[in-house]
Amino acid sequence: MAGTSASALLRPKLGLGASLALSLPIAALIVINLLPLFWGMLTSIKPESVIFAMPPRFVGFGPTNVHYERVFVSGFAQSFMISLFYSGVAVVMALACALPAAYAFDRFDFPFRQSLFLLVVASIPLSLGAAALLIPNYVYFVHLGLVNTPYALPLIYAAHQLPMAIWVVKGAIEAIPRELDEAAIIDGATRFGVLRHVMLPLSRPALGAAGTLAFVGSWNEFVAGSVMIDAPWLRPIQPLIYSFIGFFGREWGPLTAAATLAIVPILIVFALLGRLIVSGLTKGSVKG
Amino acid sequence: MRSSNVSAYSYIAPAFALLGLVLFAPVFYGGWYSLQDIRYGAPMGFAGFKNFARLLDEPDMGATLLRTFIHTGFSVVITIAIALGLAVWIDHLAPRFAFLVQIIVIVPWIISTVVAALLFRWVFLNDIGLAAWAARALGFGSFQPLTSPAGAMSLLIAISVWKRVGYAVIILLAGLKSIPDDYNEAARIDGANGWQIFRRITLPLLKTPLLLVAIVLTLSNINTVETPLVTTGGGPGDATRILAIDVYERAFVNFDLGGATAMALLMFAGNIILVVAYVRFTKWKA
Amino acid sequence: MKRQFTRRAALLAGLAIATLAGGMAEASAQTIRMWTFLNPAGNAPREKALAEIIANFEKANPGAKVSVEPQVWDQMTPKFLAAAQQGTAPDIVWVITDLLGDAIKSGSLADLNKLFADKWSTERKKDNAGAYWDLCQVDGKQYCMFQSRNYVGLYYRPDLLKEAGIDPDKLTTWPAFIDAAKKLTAKEPAGTVTRYGFGQAWSEAQPDPQIVIPYMLAKQGDLFDAQGRARFATAAGIEGLTLQTEMVTKHEVTPKLVTSWTVDDLYEQFSAGRVAMITGASVRVSTLQARMGKDKVGFMLYPGVDGKPHSPGVMAGWAVGVWSKGKNVDLAGKFVEYMGGAEADKIWVNVGGQTPGLASTPATMPDFIADPANAYLAVAGKGSATAGWLAPIAFSVGGYRQALNKAAQEVVTNGLSPKEALERAERDFNRRNNR
Repeated sequence: MAGTSASALLRPKLGLGASLALSLPIAALIVINLLPLFWGMLTSIKPESVIFAMPPRFVGFGPTNVHYERVFVSGFAQSFMISLFYSGVAVVMALACALPAAYAFDRFDFPFRQSLFLLVVASIPLSLGAAALLIPNYVYFVHLGLVNTPYALPLIYAAHQLPMAIWVVKGAIEAIPRELDEAAIIDGATRFGVLRHVMLPLSRPALGAAGTLAFVGSWNEFVAGSVMIDAPWLRPIQPLIYSFIGFFGREWGPLTAAATLAIVPILIVFALLGRLIVSGLTKGSVKG
Repeated sequence: MRSSNVSAYSYIAPAFALLGLVLFAPVFYGGWYSLQDIRYGAPMGFAGFKNFARLLDEPDMGATLLRTFIHTGFSVVITIAIALGLAVWIDHLAPRFAFLVQIIVIVPWIISTVVAALLFRWVFLNDIGLAAWAARALGFGSFQPLTSPAGAMSLLIAISVWKRVGYAVIILLAGLKSIPDDYNEAARIDGANGWQIFRRITLPLLKTPLLLVAIVLTLSNINTVETPLVTTGGGPGDATRILAIDVYERAFVNFDLGGATAMALLMFAGNIILVVAYVRFTKWKA
Repeated sequence: MKRQFTRRAALLAGLAIATLAGGMAEASAQTIRMWTFLNPAGNAPREKALAEIIANFEKANPGAKVSVEPQVWDQMTPKFLAAAQQGTAPDIVWVITDLLGDAIKSGSLADLNKLFADKWSTERKKDNAGAYWDLCQVDGKQYCMFQSRNYVGLYYRPDLLKEAGIDPDKLTTWPAFIDAAKKLTAKEPAGTVTRYGFGQAWSEAQPDPQIVIPYMLAKQGDLFDAQGRARFATAAGIEGLTLQTEMVTKHEVTPKLVTSWTVDDLYEQFSAGRVAMITGASVRVSTLQARMGKDKVGFMLYPGVDGKPHSPGVMAGWAVGVWSKGKNVDLAGKFVEYMGGAEADKIWVNVGGQTPGLASTPATMPDFIADPANAYLAVAGKGSATAGWLAPIAFSVGGYRQALNKAAQEVVTNGLSPKEALERAERDFNRRNNR
């Protein structure tokens, strides 16, 4: 394939010595990253009496679906669907706001450009922190009438992911040569046309990266999801998972079952968007 | 000139409307809240700066700040180092293989935070977990890292790194992929070797993603409470008691909502200062 | 591409409308909302019990509907207090004991005397009397009724104790207890301990009371003075902390690991057979029995001091209250009354495995109580009645267990003397609570 041979020319393969030296840390990486996941998935099908058996058991127990049953009975399907809704809408909103903003910040020069961008960056801590600002936030959203509605979380998640999305997309736009802009304008495009026909296609890897980040960030968010929502049918998936770390103790079986099911959409999203990240569509876009 | 300013503002307007509504406005409310005397869960009258003054009175605050600095500093540096290495390596891989490695790399990051920390703890740290059982089976002695202050802090840093590397790799990889091949090609023709290319061409072009990763990792480490709470609970003694745990305890254990909000706002101000410092230090221009 | 996009967008929109519609159909005029950590749709014993109680109530009161909104247990009470301010609170809320004082003082809880308790017969009032009832009473008004009553005592392995020839009923002094723990500690020939006699949990995250507390309660009666200041660094406190930490340092019946163990870790160790006795809460016995087998989990009270057979154990629970400004106060009161009544209590015990709340309940189910696996219910009941302590609500006591656990950690990890550690704990507690 043309792609691979070109990249083989431009990226020399690592030598044998380097490959061997790399294989040990890589094996460690695989073990450290995958072992807890594997152990969690195994636990989710173990009967209660075997979960804490000493020595730890890998085989030789009759697998059971009793934990998955409990998870579904507790309303998992509804939480799953509504979380897909929340995260999907949040991603679309975040990217829709981020692309024009990133384009404007990079390509236009307007008063307060630098400070406004710093303001964007400054809002990152607000989206990351503040389990302690929980109650004031809750009260504020009650005033807005948004608590316990389907609109609250998509808005909140989109806002949380927006600063990072703007920054990631802007990073990609920075690398797009201005000659392309000029070429398009000479051909009669408006600024919006440049955005649509030049920026949008060429920033696909960044949009893929930002979209993935936004999806994962929204899907795994817990604090707002548990505080802003009361009705069970609006409850997203993380509070449901955490309900198995309940007042009466950690129920490892249902907990790992729910957590296992919860990473499936992320893997799917990654399968769809991840290719954009590794494909490098901006390669060779400058034709001399 | 005017019209292009208007169109510029109109391009950033949706983003700022969203940010303003959801993120900025509550800060002002939180500010008002922190100036109230909060009793029985409700604002009961103006208290001025009493909540803040009480915080600054605490004798342990300095030690907590130091521990936070150590935890965050080491976590961020180690995470970026590992993530950069992984991103560069993945960049060199064939697409199918790269995809597989990327999935493996992001697994800890995509599992729910508390569950991931609990699983990591169970597998690697608990004395009834896999690692301890394997160590015993292989003849090593008992493995109890959580009982010593230094061990507990090291472990907290290890879990913090483990959880976030995947996220950093994605951003750095996206940045790497944005660098046109032609730059590398031109440098190679000029006789540069791999390391020189990395230092002179790649790293400078990665400035923006690196800065983003550094800022997000720093803020994430400072503000996240679930990981330290689940892993060590602040112990043993005060060894891993960092700001995030302190704030959480104020709000949900002591129910001092006024103090907790004040502290959260101070932390927010500190975060802003850090961000500005990072940007200035790297002389980064938007 | 475009067609796919519009199709997907339409799907999303349709999904949104469907879920919205589904949700809106629920609300009706005679609906009362309840916040609790239990999910009636779930299939755990307690959850099934709640579901049955709700079903019975709805059948007996046609047109009424109880809508449960499960919450995260440690956020629920602060959220309720904020919601009450804003007028969006639920009709019924389960309040955690630590915050009960604040909830009452905020005026958010209704007086249950006016709602139903004044109309009770003397018999029923006697049935409900006790420490839990008194705790909810302030200035003659009754602000809550307790559910999910908890008593913290000791778990033990009946099989292991029998094997070692130890009679749990004879463990009424601490020296006898330590002896038993030593006998139950099993070592391999090489010297590694495979099972510890007594497990504890000293993490500051979600802590349960450890043995320093029953010891102090037995000797000095309370942990706080009248103004809510901590009384930890007393003679009794120092003796108690010494007792607790020497289990690790001197008698070696408790592993050093307990400095990092949370309550959940401890139960897991017990499940794995790595400890023979542990401090444990009565509410979790049924969970562990389900995990290990009913014959492997026994429950007993703490050893006593100064000739008394037992030291007081800490009691806790969830205080169920009615929102004073709700729109359905009467109906909500009716449900709280039913949920705490005799018929529901039987369901809580039988189906949910809870300790009986009313004095009359054990007599109505003799076979159930007589079953040896359910002996823990009687022990917890006896403990609550004769050797129990509820944290005061006149002032907030948040953080006292954390402070005492930290003191134990400091003694074992950093070598502080019990006196120093307890003085520090007192200072921290007082400062954090503004005393």
